[in-house]
Amino acid sequence: MSIEVRKITKTFGSFVALNDVSLHVASGELVALLGPSGSGKTTLLRIIAGLEETDAGSGPILFHDEDVAGIDVRDRRVGFVFQHYALFRHMTVFENVAFGLRVRPRRVRPSRAAIREKVQQLLKLVQMDFMADRYPSQLSGGQRQRVALARALAVEPKVLLLDEPFGALDAKVRRELRRWLRRLHEEIQVTIVFVTHDQDEALELADRVVVMNQGKVEQIGSPDEVFHEPASEFVVNFLGHVNVFQGRLESGRLHFSGLTMDAPPRHGGSGAVRVFVRPHDWMVETRANGAPSLKATVCQINAAGPHARLRLITEYGEWIDVDMSHDRYHELALYTGAAVFLVPRDIKLFLDGSNGFAAYQAAREQMQRDARHLSPAGP
Amino acid sequence: MGTGTAVAPRAIGEPAVVRWILIVTALCFLGLFLVVPLAAIFVQALEKGIGVYLVSLHEADALAAIRLTLLTAAIAVPLNLVFGVAAAWAIAKFEFVGKSVLITLIDLPFAVSPVISGLIYVLLFGLQGWLGPWLAAQDIKIIFAVPGIVLATIFVTFPFIARELIPLMQAQGTEEEQAARVLGASGWQMFFRVTLPNIKWGLLYGVILCNARAMGEFGAVSVVSGHIRGLTNTMPLHVEILYNEYNFVAAFAVASLLAMLALVTLAAKSAVEWRVARQLRAAQSAGPEEGRKS
Repeated sequence: MSIEVRKITKTFGSFVALNDVSLHVASGELVALLGPSGSGKTTLLRIIAGLEETDAGSGPILFHDEDVAGIDVRDRRVGFVFQHYALFRHMTVFENVAFGLRVRPRRVRPSRAAIREKVQQLLKLVQMDFMADRYPSQLSGGQRQRVALARALAVEPKVLLLDEPFGALDAKVRRELRRWLRRLHEEIQVTIVFVTHDQDEALELADRVVVMNQGKVEQIGSPDEVFHEPASEFVVNFLGHVNVFQGRLESGRLHFSGLTMDAPPRHGGSGAVRVFVRPHDWMVETRANGAPSLKATVCQINAAGPHARLRLITEYGEWIDVDMSHDRYHELALYTGAAVFLVPRDIKLFLDGSNGFAAYQAAREQMQRDARHLSPAGP
Repeated sequence: MGTGTAVAPRAIGEPAVVRWILIVTALCFLGLFLVVPLAAIFVQALEKGIGVYLVSLHEADALAAIRLTLLTAAIAVPLNLVFGVAAAWAIAKFEFVGKSVLITLIDLPFAVSPVISGLIYVLLFGLQGWLGPWLAAQDIKIIFAVPGIVLATIFVTFPFIARELIPLMQAQGTEEEQAARVLGASGWQMFFRVTLPNIKWGLLYGVILCNARAMGEFGAVSVVSGHIRGLTNTMPLHVEILYNEYNFVAAFAVASLLAMLALVTLAAKSAVEWRVARQLRAAQSAGPEEGRKS
């Protein structure tokens, strides 16, 4: 079933949680609401579920083109999985899953045997059938999460809403559950909207990602689109680590940090710009090869992990983080204090005064804070 | 809960002598001021043998006092139960204007002397009170009658259940209730299937304390009762009257009933506490990955 919200606004006292937000989710889609805390993503999810009401003047909330704004949460037939699962602590796993069926009015309530069968089938689906008699307090985090999912699915919801579904789990369990949820989605073909602040989770799991910030939608697109064609500085900053520079754009030429190069296509005009380069988007050479490059000194090397991560400092005192393959790292035989030449492979530009300035500044301050913790080791 | 289970490390622990002095002091104090007086009640009550003891309990006025006390508790406790759950629910699960005022008001009976509580009702419903003339005209008697006693008792025992439930319900939050709603439960289904089972031990604890106070209240009831033998005397008031008449055996016989009520209350309270603690421990020792969430 498709979901659509149009021009939704929600305030709590003087705090604006959602500011004129519109969103369309196609039937059977798996959509992630991604953003930092306070961005309004959970509020939006709760509004879709019917756990919160929109402010007066907001547009409709449509389930399959039918306005459900006036319909109480218990009649909306949504499955909702809470961040901390909210399992009924005094009920067994079985009773938790059966709850949604047991509270139905007598005439639509399935028979005892039917409930039993249905619950067992669901527990099998979430691989918890051997734990039916346990209490929530006897389960691990990942197991609780799966019970919460089974409980939500028991009422045969038309949409499944998940609030930070993997937030409280450790990294390994998270990855497993992510894959499992993806498979489940393929199996049961229900529309799923989930909230997360983890960009990896959103990019890996979702068909489409809705990036939110300060109660507004920054960008909606496929994981590919939001990662490779970010619509705002905020999106660049939020989706993974990035190096930020202050630069100038002059008639198609870009100047920053002592480097002059052709501006990427679609960037005419002139003025102050901010330049974003991801750590893996640098080509590193030990000798200048003629291409416009940026001179820097290696300050720190961390070669443990999937990439070699380097921290460099430019002649102008700017910190740059660079990721490279181990092969390349060994080929260059880098050491602390080595002088290198950097060529950006892919850059993102945003003119000053464009949106997301606050987010940019926050990133900048964060970088400066980081820089203070590290002192250059080389000459 | 659970504080004091950890033993202080040797380096900062007190020497054995100090520990023993502290323990002996505490025990002596308890013995002198609690155990001995309690024992004295039973000794006095049984001074002239069990026969006299039973006779003084069988006396008509004593029986009337016991009946009235039970009646008062039977009205006050259920009313405060309903009020306590409603107030705790409202305070713990909703945000509304005047919430802090409500919390303060619930505590009022704790802050005010019981005698004042009684006087308030005399001022309201007494013959010279605000509503007195109107009540007299309708031939409704509140002060110096059973309704006054019940009202005063309700007032005094007002906070017990609400106070017990508010922190518990606040700690539990509203997520389980929300989950029940999303799953299609009606308001009553949510309350009886989710909320009530979660608070039942705390609720029982509050009821026990409330009941003990309702049966034992003296000050407030004394002011509104009028001390009419066989009609408006509760057990505590009856004890006082008998004592003032130098009828020590009868006084202590009735007092021994109240003392036994206290002992039963304490036992019940400990049992409930033990039950709650065990539940909490069971919850904590499970959950191998992350323990309890709340």
